[in-house]
Amino acid sequence: MRLHLAALSLKRHASRTLLAMLGVAVSAAMLLDMVMLATGMRESFASLLSSNGFTIRVSPRGTLPFDSEATIGQADAAALAMRAVPGVTDVAPVLGTTIHVLGRPEPVTAFALGIDPAVQGDYQLLEGRDPTAADAVVASDALLRAAAARIGDTLDIAVGFDPQLRTYSGRRRLVVSGRARFTYLSADDRAAALSLGTVQAMGGGDRADRVSLFMVRTAPNVDPELARAAIERAVPRVTALSTAGAIAEAEKRLSYFRQLAFILGAVSLVVGFLLVTTIVTVSVNERIGEIAIMRAIGVSRAHVVQQIVIEGIALSLAGAAAGLVLGVFTAHYLNSILRGFPGLPDAIDFFLLQPPSALRALGLLVASGIAAGIYPSWRAASLPISTTLREEAVG
Amino acid sequence: MTATPLLSVRDAERDYPHSGEPVHAVRGVSLEIARGEYIAIVGPSGCGKSTLLNLLGAIDRPTSGTVTIAGTAVSGLPDREATRFRLENIGFVFQRFYLLPVLTARENVELPMAEAKIAAAERRSRALELLGYVGLAEREDHRPSELSGGEQQRVAIARALANRPAVLLADEPTGELDARTGADVIALFDRLNRDGMTIVVVTHDEKLAGAARRVVHMLDGRVVRDEPLLRRA
Amino acid sequence: MKRTCRLRLLGWVSLLTVGFAASHRAAAQVIDSIPPWIAAQRTIAIDERLATDAGLRVGDRVVLSPEPGNAIGDTVRIGAIVKGRADPSEVARSEYRVRMHLDHLQRLLAYGDRVDRFAMATTGSSASDSVLHAVNAVAFGFRAYPSRDIAVGTSKTFLVVSRFHRAIGMITIVASATFLLCIMLLKVDERRRDVAAMRLMGISRATVVRTVMLESSFVALLGSVVGVGLGFVVSAFVNAHYQTVYRTPLRFAIITPGTVAYAVLLSLVLGIGAGALAARRLARTPPLTLFGR
Repeated sequence: MRLHLAALSLKRHASRTLLAMLGVAVSAAMLLDMVMLATGMRESFASLLSSNGFTIRVSPRGTLPFDSEATIGQADAAALAMRAVPGVTDVAPVLGTTIHVLGRPEPVTAFALGIDPAVQGDYQLLEGRDPTAADAVVASDALLRAAAARIGDTLDIAVGFDPQLRTYSGRRRLVVSGRARFTYLSADDRAAALSLGTVQAMGGGDRADRVSLFMVRTAPNVDPELARAAIERAVPRVTALSTAGAIAEAEKRLSYFRQLAFILGAVSLVVGFLLVTTIVTVSVNERIGEIAIMRAIGVSRAHVVQQIVIEGIALSLAGAAAGLVLGVFTAHYLNSILRGFPGLPDAIDFFLLQPPSALRALGLLVASGIAAGIYPSWRAASLPISTTLREEAVG
Repeated sequence: MTATPLLSVRDAERDYPHSGEPVHAVRGVSLEIARGEYIAIVGPSGCGKSTLLNLLGAIDRPTSGTVTIAGTAVSGLPDREATRFRLENIGFVFQRFYLLPVLTARENVELPMAEAKIAAAERRSRALELLGYVGLAEREDHRPSELSGGEQQRVAIARALANRPAVLLADEPTGELDARTGADVIALFDRLNRDGMTIVVVTHDEKLAGAARRVVHMLDGRVVRDEPLLRRA
Repeated sequence: MKRTCRLRLLGWVSLLTVGFAASHRAAAQVIDSIPPWIAAQRTIAIDERLATDAGLRVGDRVVLSPEPGNAIGDTVRIGAIVKGRADPSEVARSEYRVRMHLDHLQRLLAYGDRVDRFAMATTGSSASDSVLHAVNAVAFGFRAYPSRDIAVGTSKTFLVVSRFHRAIGMITIVASATFLLCIMLLKVDERRRDVAAMRLMGISRATVVRTVMLESSFVALLGSVVGVGLGFVVSAFVNAHYQTVYRTPLRFAIITPGTVAYAVLLSLVLGIGAGALAARRLARTPPLTLFGR
């Protein structure tokens, strides 16, 4: 009977109930979006870093991976020392450089990675073969389009360019052996991967025995933090960063979004609570006489409160359900805006729907709906019956 | 009266604070009502008759004095127990009917039974029986807005009878009705009393007062006269 | 992560890791006992964050090295500590900035007689145009750009953030409008009996609507004033907070007269509009219905 009465009470002012539900839905959508923003970056970044199984990144001392032009010298010795660290299973060197694809109407500039194809973690081959040969290169679709090239074509590639003399240095003819999706780059980036030795040789003395970065895999039962510390002890001229450390660094830089998410999420929750409180209060005030009657005929205070709280819950639940749908749509829209950041890897999403977090947030909203209904209904149910009936009769 | 009274009021006082000077709505009223009696409490506006009725119905508590119903001193009960007592022992009918507008006639009658945790099937059957008793069986699915004043009052009476109360208390039950519908309600009360229901009505309506077996006159919060009413056979 | 930084040599230099660690364990060495003939060594200027984090002061001697983690390099003296720039691109980056004489850095890095770019100041915008054309006409291997074009090109990140803020703002406005309408309808509905009594007394619908709208306008105006005040307080807090977190003099939130006017206008329109809608709805309902009969 209480559920039935609650449903009828809500239907009694259908437009008001619908508008209130809409308000709660908007509140729920914003809350959900902020929860998705707060967790999304972290989770998608963690997923990106863990996607290829490398647990530690090693960069020149005091820098973050590809954060500067600095490189690690005596790279072979460094790799050897790292491989000797207990728990390290693979060490993948990476040397970043700019390449120029010549022989086109306009030279095409791209970002290239010198890698060891046997242990690389920078790209996923979509078609063709890895650049195991010294004269092979794997390219992104964007580069292939810009260079009007296909697998099997030979490209005239240079790594150096003197703008004053307008001459290119470090030239080689390389054969496109495959096309790939580069994990840490956006789909629009022109990128290529070729063997480390080739890049070092093309770079001449400047690049001999140097890398920009090592990616390290550890055994499953090894604590990456311990391995990280051991690597820094073994090779003092580097900084080693575990996945957790990398995430922490990224979070520091993107802390603004987390804080924005927290603030807007809190505001949404408060507004949703206030909305339900206002509706319940107005609804209760309108029905003071009815409540007094129910008390007069013997309905207990607790049951009166229950019945009104059920109305608040129904409003919050319906609003939360609608808010879930609305929130997913707005998150998609906001995500598409933030994905416009230049150079953002395709795999990174700012808004990520994680059911447990979403349910917790919406559960909090529903709980606030419950709390919102308790005080006004308890107050109304505690009014002196005879006085209330008299006042309602006069009114 | 030799049998134990069903309702007993001893030296009841009820004061309301008002701008520093209390209003003495009921002053030292003592009254006994036996089972099966039909009593009308009459008096001018503001004499305290509705206040006395609220004390009798455990809706209000006296400032001093006692109110006992069916052997239970309701004036001293905490709210939860007083509420329970009302649910199981007292049927209340109000001047303005006070049906819940969102419920049908049958659902309004079922409401007290639902609170008393009567099973749904039994509630439904009793509600229909009561609506039949008051002559509204065919209007069970109508909402209050679809019923006339007299019909609404009869539904309110059916609701008051839902949990088989020991006493029916009515505050100006014909106050908002025209003469014809008021007569229907008066006839219904008469029938209830002949069927054994103890009834206490507060009224300005002479016809309703005339239908009672005993009239208690109040003035300025006191009982000034309490006399049986001789009725035509 | 993609590399984004480049060495900039403009007569002074921004160097990220030359001899310094980004952590608190700076690779700087302070040499206390120096022979007098070394006293006349080169000086550098460092930013205040580096000075704070590494505990450096003017007069301290440090070693500059082109190799990370290498203590062999040039011993220099800190000649000045420079205040941070209000540069949005430096926010959230834990880089330190060192300023050196151009020739010193060129020699240290074995860069030769090279620079990354020149910055040119002119006497005015028309002079800038003619200088631009003149330089590009004779340039061999490089190009001149107006500074604003560079700013636009490097502002893509902030354009994204700006769009994001605008989107959040729009959503907030829609949400606020919904809440406002909801609450106005509720609050005006609470007055149904008063309105019913007025109508029964013979007061016209128009008067009822005007009365309700007057109240909602007052509430909207009062709300706007309070909101603007709150906005100032919150923006002051936001600036103080992020300036501390990111250690920058950059102002993150700026309230302009235009912003205030826009916000007040919007809230007035929404508040009065919601009140008008609610009032009209109430005035159209027959009085007896309002009494619940």
